[in-house]
Amino acid sequence: MKERVTRASRPARWRSFAALALSLAVAAPAGAAEIQLPEYTRTTLKNGLIVFVMPTHRLPLVDFRLVAAAGSVRDPAGKEGVASLTAELLTQGAGKRDARQIAEQIAFIGGTLGASAAAEQLVVSCEVLKKDFATGLELFRDVIVSPTFPAEEFQRKKDESLGEIAAEKDDPDAVADRSLLPFLMGSSPLAHPPIGWQESVAKIERGDIVGFKNEYLTPDYAALAVVGDVEPKRVVAALEKAFADWQPSGKTRGDGYTPLARTAGRHLVVVSKPEVTQTQIRLACPAVPRNHPDFYAITVANTILGSGFTSRLVNEIRVAQGLTYSIGSSFDMYRLTGTFDVSTFTKNETIRKCIDETIKVMRNLKTTGPTDDELAKAKRYLTGQFPLSLQAPDALAARLLNIEFYGLDPKYVETFSSRINAVTMADVRRVLDQHFCVDDLRILVVSNPPVATKALKGLGPVGVQDIR
Amino acid sequence: MKPISFSAALLLLVPALAAAAPGVTPGVQTSAGTSSSLTSLLKVDRHVLPNGLVVLLHEDHTVPVVTLWQWFKVGSRNERPGITGISHYFEHMMFNGSKNVAPKEYDRILESNGGFSNAFTDRDMTGYYEDIASDRLDVLMRLDSDRMTELSLLPEQLKSEIEVVKEERRLRTDNDISGMLDEQLYAIAFNASPYRWPVVGWMGDLNRINRDEMKEYFRTYYAPNNCILVLTGDFESAKALEEITKYFGPIPLQAPPVPPVDSEPDQHGERRVQVHYPAQNVTFQVGYKAPGVKSPDVYALDVLSSILADGESSRLHQALVYEKQIALSASTFFRTRLSPTLFEFNVEMKPGKAAAEGLQAMDQVIDRLIQEGPTARELEKARNLLEASFIKSLKTNNGVGQTLAFYEHVFGDYRAMFLTLDKYKAVTAKDCKRVAKAYFDPQRRTVVELVPEQQPAAAR
Repeated sequence: MKERVTRASRPARWRSFAALALSLAVAAPAGAAEIQLPEYTRTTLKNGLIVFVMPTHRLPLVDFRLVAAAGSVRDPAGKEGVASLTAELLTQGAGKRDARQIAEQIAFIGGTLGASAAAEQLVVSCEVLKKDFATGLELFRDVIVSPTFPAEEFQRKKDESLGEIAAEKDDPDAVADRSLLPFLMGSSPLAHPPIGWQESVAKIERGDIVGFKNEYLTPDYAALAVVGDVEPKRVVAALEKAFADWQPSGKTRGDGYTPLARTAGRHLVVVSKPEVTQTQIRLACPAVPRNHPDFYAITVANTILGSGFTSRLVNEIRVAQGLTYSIGSSFDMYRLTGTFDVSTFTKNETIRKCIDETIKVMRNLKTTGPTDDELAKAKRYLTGQFPLSLQAPDALAARLLNIEFYGLDPKYVETFSSRINAVTMADVRRVLDQHFCVDDLRILVVSNPPVATKALKGLGPVGVQDIR
Repeated sequence: MKPISFSAALLLLVPALAAAAPGVTPGVQTSAGTSSSLTSLLKVDRHVLPNGLVVLLHEDHTVPVVTLWQWFKVGSRNERPGITGISHYFEHMMFNGSKNVAPKEYDRILESNGGFSNAFTDRDMTGYYEDIASDRLDVLMRLDSDRMTELSLLPEQLKSEIEVVKEERRLRTDNDISGMLDEQLYAIAFNASPYRWPVVGWMGDLNRINRDEMKEYFRTYYAPNNCILVLTGDFESAKALEEITKYFGPIPLQAPPVPPVDSEPDQHGERRVQVHYPAQNVTFQVGYKAPGVKSPDVYALDVLSSILADGESSRLHQALVYEKQIALSASTFFRTRLSPTLFEFNVEMKPGKAAAEGLQAMDQVIDRLIQEGPTARELEKARNLLEASFIKSLKTNNGVGQTLAFYEHVFGDYRAMFLTLDKYKAVTAKDCKRVAKAYFDPQRRTVVELVPEQQPAAAR
């Protein structure tokens, strides 16, 4: 980010640059007509791979994206980090090319090729100019179907992962997010960061990577999208040919975890970082899965509480009281479960005030509900912003694959605005009551322990732990 | 919404960027006749109102959405010791009440109309944008002309907002390792340039900036004649210009601001500084004195930046991360600025590796580049990467507006952007050698190193 200083209202994770995607391909004025996605095809290849092709001809670009149900939730217990390391290694040797050749050839055509693992998804993506379609597809195909996992690259990438985990300990925001996972989710397979822990990554061997790839990176648990300046029939034929050798697992497998249960009462933890002058704060509880029937009401209610520049939390904690630069609430939604969290930070002197005032804002909204104006504003904001989020070809590819992955209505995009607009005041009050916790909360701070434990006194049992 | 942190990469990777006329052309041809074809692809109307406001209009009817950029020709370079950070503080106050819009109302009105806004401050400029449905353009006209006419700067809001700014400083600088190093790099590398203080300002200055200074700042720098207004998206130019004239035309012209003085003397010898702080890994930054926009060498420096650090096949990554395996990352940062600036190298070492080893490896990469220059294939790769970034930047109307404003401000003419790809194409291997030799001069660099301290013992 360097010297640019912005007005972000949500915790600014500025190391990953937000793409300011705007324009193109979709059509809908704020809150008025429904959005129409560009036409696309959905085909199932012989090996079970689901393939979407969406032509968009405004720019001479092609985006390839694969989503496989091979996220870090599948990591073997004690070897957390396998999915992420597998993803990292896909591009470090595949087919007849070594790591250097892959890197040089994709850069030479001005393209990008990358892979990463999140909790549930392993994603491979590639973007090239239209004229380089064939090269892009070949590289994209090779890293998915025939990665070679050279031993020396395995060792190098494993070392880098260990180095990055160490580096994250120096970033208070990352420490808070990483530490929150086990604090909130206990022993769930979801309860670790994809990159893993120092001790678990140290135990990973090359055989774990090869085994993980063979077991989970299979066409029967994956979907692929090609969006951009292409002709669908030709693309499907090219994909059928390119991925013909990719064998399905033929096995039946579940999601690899069960829904989280909410625990009663407040629990607090201080993660020790004695040198900080500003304390990272998280308040969280288990919540709902992505395809929950209350999705739209929750989205509206969360906008009112903690999204955008005029939410209750931003208004009170940032604008009125000047306690933080950024505060926001959000729901992380998985296939079978989810979490709710409020994320902020404040100077060490005002830890308690910031937490008390945040809970007060939440309780107040739950007790009295939003005003009619707030409800109308949230709907306008959500329906007005929605089209801006799905215009670039890579964003469209991700959108199609998420609809597939989470089993959403294929008309999700087309019906989004009308479903948001159908949310009633009663719906919002009901979901605030059910899904936005204030009493059964986990509260985590990253701070100087003596200062923080004193500040948190009386809120509930407080533990102190070192950074894992 | 995801957190919007401004994409520095947009300008870092893509100093060149333009927009196609969407839906009209079958595709942007990337390999021939760049400047003329770009000019015809991106139709821009430029107008100057009698009060000096520069208006750039680019129609794009693909989506019924518009982006309005207001780009003020003021940044931290226009500050002075004692009021450092005032430009950025000001950026926050622009959302906190104006003549007819009470505090909190700006965002409430905007979001009630489905709009979104954000802003950034840099050394050379302060930029504000809004994205909104095209049938709500008048909302932006009313809100933005009101705050350009008269900003309230109410004591209560000033008092509360400075605390927000101080939290931002604690987040990005005081508790962030790269933020600490970056601040020291510029403070040590420059003796007299107004680039020597941080954009966010020194904490002491944030504690003392007063309302009179803020009011003076507004009169001087937020005048229409110090602003570039860029509208991109779904609108009709003649009608939009009429609206802009109606709302912004009556705002009075002010005396032009006094340009900041840059009396930076030559540097004769490497400068080194250490920052001691608890940390797992060593990191260091190196800044070489580099030219500003007036130098034709900025294009070769962009090409060098690509050869050195764009992607895994780049020279620095290959040497430090891949072959020697001593670093987690090695990157460069160079952006064309109004005044002479720094070409930065940023290296994060692996656990247990010392800065000296990293610096030596970095020096070897640079020396070899100076001696041998890039290969023909490397040069072509750099051009392709820069060109592809250019095409990718066409994805967004917002990016188009930002880039038009950038070129209009920094290069003095938005049309400079049309020439950029040609300028990259004209850079030869010989140019790369000459420019690398001229600027990657050990006598004219500053090295900032983070020295990891033991964690202070925590009393439990």
